[in-house]
Amino acid sequence: MQRKVNDVGGLPGEHIDSVDHDATFFEKRIDAMLMLLISPKIKAFSIDALRRTIEENTLDDYTKRGYYEKWLYAIRHLLVEQQILSNEEIDQRITTIMQTKG
Amino acid sequence: MTDSHPEFPPPRFGVGDKVVVKNGPPETHCRTPYYLRGVNGQIIELIGRYQNPSLLAFHKPGLPKLWLYRVRFDQYKIWEQYNGANSDSVVADLYEHWLVPVKEHSNVAP
Repeated sequence: MQRKVNDVGGLPGEHIDSVDHDATFFEKRIDAMLMLLISPKIKAFSIDALRRTIEENTLDDYTKRGYYEKWLYAIRHLLVEQQILSNEEIDQRITTIMQTKG
Repeated sequence: MTDSHPEFPPPRFGVGDKVVVKNGPPETHCRTPYYLRGVNGQIIELIGRYQNPSLLAFHKPGLPKLWLYRVRFDQYKIWEQYNGANSDSVVADLYEHWLVPVKEHSNVAP
Protein backbone atom coordinates (compact mmCIF):
# COMPACT_ATOMS: atom_id res chain seq x y z
CA MET A 1 0.00 0.00 0.00
CA GLN A 2 1.47 3.33 -1.07
CA ARG A 3 -0.81 5.66 0.82
CA LYS A 4 -2.00 5.37 4.40
CA VAL A 5 -5.55 6.18 5.51
CA ASN A 6 -4.53 9.41 7.21
CA ASP A 7 -2.50 10.66 4.24
CA VAL A 8 -5.34 12.43 2.43
CA GLY A 9 -3.54 15.56 1.19
CA GLY A 10 -4.67 16.34 -2.36
CA LEU A 11 -7.50 13.79 -2.45
CA PRO A 12 -10.92 15.06 -3.44
CA GLY A 13 -13.09 15.31 -0.34
CA GLU A 14 -16.28 16.67 1.10
CA HIS A 15 -16.75 20.32 1.95
CA ILE A 16 -14.82 21.26 5.10
CA ASP A 17 -16.73 23.25 7.70
CA SER A 18 -14.15 25.87 8.67
CA VAL A 19 -16.34 27.74 11.15
CA ASP A 20 -14.79 27.76 14.63
CA HIS A 21 -16.72 26.09 17.42
CA ASP A 22 -16.05 25.74 21.14
CA ALA A 23 -14.55 22.42 22.20
CA THR A 24 -17.16 20.11 23.70
CA PHE A 25 -16.77 18.66 27.21
CA PHE A 26 -16.03 15.27 25.61
CA GLU A 27 -13.27 16.79 23.46
CA LYS A 28 -11.73 18.61 26.43
CA ARG A 29 -11.69 15.42 28.50
CA ILE A 30 -9.98 13.42 25.76
CA ASP A 31 -7.47 16.21 25.25
CA ALA A 32 -6.71 16.37 28.98
CA MET A 33 -6.36 12.59 29.18
CA LEU A 34 -3.85 12.51 26.33
CA MET A 35 -1.81 15.44 27.65
CA LEU A 36 -1.46 13.67 31.01
CA LEU A 37 -0.60 10.29 29.47
CA ILE A 38 2.19 11.69 27.28
CA SER A 39 3.52 14.09 29.94
CA PRO A 40 7.15 13.52 31.02
CA LYS A 41 6.06 12.41 34.50
CA ILE A 42 3.63 9.73 33.30
CA LYS A 43 4.96 8.87 29.83
CA ALA A 44 2.50 6.04 29.21
CA PHE A 45 3.37 6.30 25.52
CA SER A 46 4.59 8.87 23.00
CA ILE A 47 2.64 11.12 20.66
CA ASP A 48 4.31 9.16 17.84
CA ALA A 49 2.69 5.97 19.13
CA LEU A 50 -0.68 7.72 19.20
CA ARG A 51 -0.25 8.82 15.57
CA ARG A 52 0.83 5.32 14.51
CA THR A 53 -2.23 3.79 16.19
CA ILE A 54 -4.54 6.30 14.48
CA GLU A 55 -2.91 5.44 11.14
CA GLU A 56 -3.77 1.77 11.80
CA ASN A 57 -7.50 2.55 11.56
CA THR A 58 -9.29 0.87 8.68
CA LEU A 59 -10.39 3.35 6.01
CA ASP A 60 -13.98 2.88 7.20
CA ASP A 61 -13.14 3.61 10.86
CA TYR A 62 -10.83 6.47 9.91
CA THR A 63 -13.61 8.12 7.91
CA LYS A 64 -16.41 7.39 10.37
CA ARG A 65 -14.68 8.33 13.62
CA GLY A 66 -14.29 11.95 14.62
CA TYR A 67 -10.96 13.56 15.45
CA TYR A 68 -11.12 13.09 19.23
CA GLU A 69 -12.88 9.76 18.82
CA LYS A 70 -9.77 8.50 17.00
CA TRP A 71 -7.67 9.75 19.93
CA LEU A 72 -9.95 7.90 22.35
CA TYR A 73 -9.71 4.56 20.51
CA ALA A 74 -5.94 5.00 20.16
CA ILE A 75 -5.53 5.80 23.88
CA ARG A 76 -7.44 2.66 24.79
CA HIS A 77 -5.38 0.53 22.36
CA LEU A 78 -2.09 1.92 23.70
CA LEU A 79 -3.01 1.51 27.38
CA VAL A 80 -3.60 -2.18 26.65
CA GLU A 81 -0.49 -2.48 24.43
CA GLN A 82 1.62 -0.95 27.22
CA GLN A 83 -0.04 -3.32 29.74
CA ILE A 84 -1.21 -0.41 31.89
CA LEU A 85 -4.83 -1.58 31.69
CA SER A 86 -6.40 -4.74 30.28
CA ASN A 87 -9.37 -4.82 27.92
CA GLU A 88 -11.32 -6.60 30.66
CA GLU A 89 -10.60 -3.85 33.19
CA ILE A 90 -11.69 -1.16 30.73
CA ASP A 91 -14.86 -3.03 29.75
CA GLN A 92 -15.70 -3.67 33.39
CA ARG A 93 -15.31 0.00 34.24
CA ILE A 94 -17.49 1.02 31.29
CA THR A 95 -20.18 -1.41 32.46
CA THR A 96 -20.02 -0.04 36.01
CA ILE A 97 -20.32 3.55 34.81
CA MET A 98 -23.21 2.71 32.50
CA GLN A 99 -25.03 1.00 35.39
CA THR A 100 -24.43 3.95 37.73
CA LYS A 101 -25.84 6.28 35.12
CA GLY A 102 -28.91 4.03 34.91
CA MET B 1 20.11 23.37 17.43
CA THR B 2 22.21 21.00 15.32
CA ASP B 3 23.84 18.16 17.20
CA SER B 4 27.54 17.92 16.35
CA HIS B 5 28.52 14.93 18.44
CA PRO B 6 31.43 13.17 16.62
CA GLU B 7 29.67 9.79 16.40
CA PHE B 8 26.79 11.34 14.47
CA PRO B 9 27.14 11.30 10.70
CA PRO B 10 27.15 14.84 9.30
CA PRO B 11 24.11 16.03 7.35
CA ARG B 12 24.06 14.78 3.77
CA PHE B 13 22.49 17.97 2.40
CA GLY B 14 22.98 21.69 2.84
CA VAL B 15 20.78 24.74 2.32
CA GLY B 16 20.19 25.30 -1.40
CA ASP B 17 20.68 21.64 -2.39
CA LYS B 18 18.18 20.28 -4.90
CA VAL B 19 16.58 17.02 -3.82
CA VAL B 20 13.84 14.66 -4.88
CA VAL B 21 11.57 12.84 -2.42
CA LYS B 22 11.81 9.05 -2.69
CA ASN B 23 8.87 7.39 -4.33
CA GLY B 24 8.89 4.51 -1.87
CA PRO B 25 6.17 2.84 0.20
CA PRO B 26 5.34 4.48 3.55
CA GLU B 27 6.84 3.31 6.82
CA THR B 28 4.44 1.92 9.43
CA HIS B 29 4.38 5.41 10.90
CA CYS B 30 5.16 7.76 8.03
CA ARG B 31 5.87 11.49 8.24
CA THR B 32 6.34 12.03 4.49
CA PRO B 33 3.09 12.90 2.71
CA TYR B 34 2.10 10.91 -0.35
CA TYR B 35 1.66 13.98 -2.55
CA LEU B 36 5.35 14.91 -2.21
CA ARG B 37 6.80 11.54 -3.23
CA GLY B 38 8.78 11.77 -6.44
CA VAL B 39 8.62 15.58 -6.41
CA ASN B 40 11.70 17.80 -6.75
CA GLY B 41 12.38 20.44 -4.12
CA GLN B 42 15.09 22.55 -2.56
CA ILE B 43 16.49 22.48 0.98
CA ILE B 44 15.80 25.80 2.70
CA GLU B 45 16.83 24.91 6.25
CA LEU B 46 18.64 22.25 8.22
CA ILE B 47 16.39 21.96 11.26
CA GLY B 48 18.38 19.51 13.36
CA ARG B 49 18.58 15.90 14.51
CA TYR B 50 15.52 14.23 15.97
CA GLN B 51 14.63 10.83 17.35
CA ASN B 52 13.32 8.53 14.63
CA PRO B 53 9.49 8.78 14.74
CA SER B 54 9.11 5.29 13.20
CA LEU B 55 10.86 3.85 16.26
CA LEU B 56 9.27 6.22 18.83
CA ALA B 57 5.92 5.01 17.49
CA PHE B 58 6.74 1.53 18.87
CA HIS B 59 7.92 2.67 22.33
CA LYS B 60 11.61 2.55 21.37
CA PRO B 61 14.15 5.33 22.12
CA GLY B 62 14.23 6.43 18.46
CA LEU B 63 17.99 6.16 17.98
CA PRO B 64 20.02 6.84 15.94
CA LYS B 65 18.58 10.29 15.47
CA LEU B 66 17.74 11.47 11.96
CA TRP B 67 18.53 14.76 10.25
CA LEU B 68 15.43 16.78 9.54
CA TYR B 69 15.27 19.33 6.71
CA ARG B 70 12.84 22.04 5.69
CA VAL B 71 12.23 21.57 1.96
CA ARG B 72 10.48 23.92 -0.45
CA PHE B 73 8.43 22.58 -3.38
CA ASP B 74 6.76 24.40 -6.27
CA GLN B 75 3.00 23.87 -6.20
CA TYR B 76 2.85 23.48 -9.98
CA LYS B 77 5.24 20.50 -9.73
CA ILE B 78 2.97 18.75 -7.21
CA TRP B 79 -0.49 19.15 -8.69
CA GLU B 80 -1.51 18.42 -12.24
CA GLN B 81 -3.05 21.45 -13.96
CA TYR B 82 -2.25 23.75 -11.03
CA ASN B 83 -4.05 27.06 -11.56
CA GLY B 84 -2.18 29.27 -9.09
CA ALA B 85 0.92 31.41 -9.55
CA ASN B 86 4.18 29.73 -10.59
CA SER B 87 5.78 31.14 -7.44
CA ASP B 88 3.32 29.31 -5.11
CA SER B 89 5.11 26.85 -2.87
CA VAL B 90 4.69 24.23 -0.18
CA VAL B 91 7.22 23.84 2.63
CA ALA B 92 7.54 20.47 4.38
CA ASP B 93 9.78 19.10 7.14
CA LEU B 94 11.28 15.84 5.86
CA TYR B 95 13.76 13.33 7.28
CA GLU B 96 17.00 12.68 5.45
CA HIS B 97 16.30 9.05 4.47
CA TRP B 98 13.39 10.24 2.30
CA LEU B 99 15.58 12.58 0.24
CA VAL B 100 17.84 11.83 -2.73
CA PRO B 101 20.16 14.33 -4.45
CA VAL B 102 18.58 15.40 -7.74
CA LYS B 103 21.68 14.55 -9.78
CA GLU B 104 21.40 10.85 -8.78
CA HIS B 105 17.80 10.72 -9.98
CA SER B 106 17.66 13.11 -12.92
CA ASN B 107 15.11 10.80 -14.59
CA VAL B 108 12.60 11.69 -11.85
CA ALA B 109 12.93 15.42 -12.48
CA PRO B 110 9.85 16.89 -14.14
